[in-house]
Amino acid sequence: MNTPAPPALDWSDVMAASIHDIKNSLALILGNLDDLVGNPENRLADPRQATLLKQEVQRVHRSLIQVLMLYKLGNQQFVPQIAEHNLEDFLEEVVADNQSHCAALGLELGFACDAELTGYFDWELVRGVLDSTIGNACRYAGARIRIRADREQGELLLRVEDDGAGFPASVLSRLPDPRLSSAGQPNAGAGNPGPANPGPANPGPANPGIVSPDPIMAGRTRLGLYFAAQVAAQHRDGERVGGIRLANGGAFGGGVFELRLP
Amino acid sequence: MPDHDFSSKQYLIVDDFSDMRAVLRSILQSLGATRIDQAANGAEAIDQMQRRRFDAILCDYNLGPGQDGQQVLEEARHRGFIGVDTVFIMVTAETTRDMVMGAVEYTPDSYLGKPVTKELLRTRLGKLFERKADLRAVNTALKAADYPLALAELDRRIAAAPKHLADLIKLKAEVCLKAGDYAGARAIYEQALATRDQPWAQLGRGIALYHQQDHAAALAVFQALVQHDRHLIVAYDWQAKAQVALAALEAAEATLLEAARISPRGLQRQQRIGELALGNGHGEVAEAAFDRAVQLAAHSCLNHPGLLGGLAQSKSANGKYAEAEKVLGTLETAFADHAETAFVRASATAAIRSHQGDRVGAQAALAQAEAALQDLGANADPRVASEWAATQQRVVAAEEADARLEQLIANNHDDEAFLDQLRQECPAGIDPARLEAKIQAIRDAVIESNNAGIRLIQQGAFDEAIALLQQAADGMPENATVRLNAVKAILLKLDKMGSDPNDARHLGEQVAILERIAPEHPRLAEVRTHLARHAAR
Repeated sequence: MNTPAPPALDWSDVMAASIHDIKNSLALILGNLDDLVGNPENRLADPRQATLLKQEVQRVHRSLIQVLMLYKLGNQQFVPQIAEHNLEDFLEEVVADNQSHCAALGLELGFACDAELTGYFDWELVRGVLDSTIGNACRYAGARIRIRADREQGELLLRVEDDGAGFPASVLSRLPDPRLSSAGQPNAGAGNPGPANPGPANPGPANPGIVSPDPIMAGRTRLGLYFAAQVAAQHRDGERVGGIRLANGGAFGGGVFELRLP
Repeated sequence: MPDHDFSSKQYLIVDDFSDMRAVLRSILQSLGATRIDQAANGAEAIDQMQRRRFDAILCDYNLGPGQDGQQVLEEARHRGFIGVDTVFIMVTAETTRDMVMGAVEYTPDSYLGKPVTKELLRTRLGKLFERKADLRAVNTALKAADYPLALAELDRRIAAAPKHLADLIKLKAEVCLKAGDYAGARAIYEQALATRDQPWAQLGRGIALYHQQDHAAALAVFQALVQHDRHLIVAYDWQAKAQVALAALEAAEATLLEAARISPRGLQRQQRIGELALGNGHGEVAEAAFDRAVQLAAHSCLNHPGLLGGLAQSKSANGKYAEAEKVLGTLETAFADHAETAFVRASATAAIRSHQGDRVGAQAALAQAEAALQDLGANADPRVASEWAATQQRVVAAEEADARLEQLIANNHDDEAFLDQLRQECPAGIDPARLEAKIQAIRDAVIESNNAGIRLIQQGAFDEAIALLQQAADGMPENATVRLNAVKAILLKLDKMGSDPNDARHLGEQVAILERIAPEHPRLAEVRTHLARHAAR
């Protein structure tokens, strides 16, 4: 008997195929939710539930993209498509796409940038970072979230600011570094993606010193922040490399997430 | 962007999944769109585009079997069904991004990842409509191939430094390339590169260099691009072009094979691989590539008889003559009315005959092909002419190779070790049975001339015998055995008829040759003894 050996399992293909399938399902769920909410014939006892469902679907979708992207980055299978883009066009799109769920949460989402400002970046990757940052800021903001884009010292600076309580000091002292893999349990502090410096190879045991009020949120923010740091690191111009930073204050006195792109 | 901008437009949704089409349709309707058509596959989409002009096409990249979204876009642009004023949005799963980005000549206006949301579609589509409206005058000039006017219109917009300045500059460089202003295009790309190293500008610079005939510099640019991003398929295609221009044909074949491994659906790339592999004597590679091209072409507007011709030629190069003839049979049914069919059939037949060693048949088919080419006249695709040249070259090369092989066998017809090696390394384009036949034919010829020589000697016709054997030896200049037979005849004559200065000189020449080509031959030692005996007399 000479049965051919089954081909070796290529995880990249398995993931790609699964994610493709899952995303088709998500698209259907989202589309039908939109119809459900948009149709005045439908009367929902609590319309907020539909919005929350939609929000969660989008979150699942983002996590999927992040996982796949990180996997590909780890395997050097991914090359960012960096091109010059107008920031107003870009932020208009990001804000439009996040507007409805911010509005449902009673939050005002806006952006501020010079109409002429351009920058070099991968549109989809940076949009992914901003989407997930806004998603997290929604949980901690008081009433307002704003994205600012500026050019400082020849670099593009994108800031997501909120008017929440800001990050606790313990969080601010730990800036994520994609090259580090030490364990750090984020406590999903105020505003923005939250702290973490984990590596994918070692998501790390929970740090017993820090109590995480919501382990699911903690996992998400950690992934989000790690993703942001990776995306920043993918942006380079000569010797200069992008980075992220967390701070408190800003225009609204809350948490500030900064993405710096050369 | 007010909604009424969406309501006046004509839309086409292409997705193989009906639920997905329904989602996109309902999003478009919620934006105010009313005129929405749908297609479930590439063929339906092309059919719709042929009948009606669309303002915006939302096309999924994965369309199941048949064409993918990129092929739909290529066919639609190629056949002129969608102009530069139609918005083409490729809807992709994030997973196909690598495959789709940096795709080939025709790029969509935008990529949208799934799931598509209403808000995202509204902003994206709104901006694209705005941009297309701004480029209307440029588009009109481009359609009329009035490049100076298109460039003037672009310059006017660039001077105003609008938001999408980068896109305008990119477009201007592309128009320069189209207009043949390679120096102008290169200047734009180099200016962009001075600001920042960017793949699109590097690619453009490489293309401009290629057109300026600086193929070595162009090649270096494309190689660096591929090194940076191994999914940048278009850079491989240009790299191969530069390699062909530099006569590095094996390298060009390898480059395209790498590109095809990453992106196996490119029909023209598969065809190019087939052609290069045929020329490089890689019959198996050629057959696989043409096989793939024929399959891909079944769904494409780019289908033409040349693909079946290439398949037939490569099958014949692999010694599969019956299969090759069969392929030419399908050519008759698939392209009965195609102007190029007669030419392709004759030119493939020439290749088959030449591979079979039928030189007369090959020449006759070549003549037929030439006549068919003349019939095509001015209507002949430049591709056909180059295919003709390549076939002719291959037929001639095959004949030369054949002649070289025969010489090789003739020179070593009784050297079993050498022949075994030849059998193992069976030269490209020669099938083993034919090699055996050749060996046998040459052996028979040697035996026949020997027997004839012996008969002549027995009849006392020494000079005739010497002339015959000498002629055989000269036909196989490196074959010691045959030459030794001629020498033997001279020695027999000398033994029988006594010394003759002419024969002695002749003998001296032949022995000198033998001393050079086979100094170790045992029969040469005998000849030396024999000579010494004569000298002693």
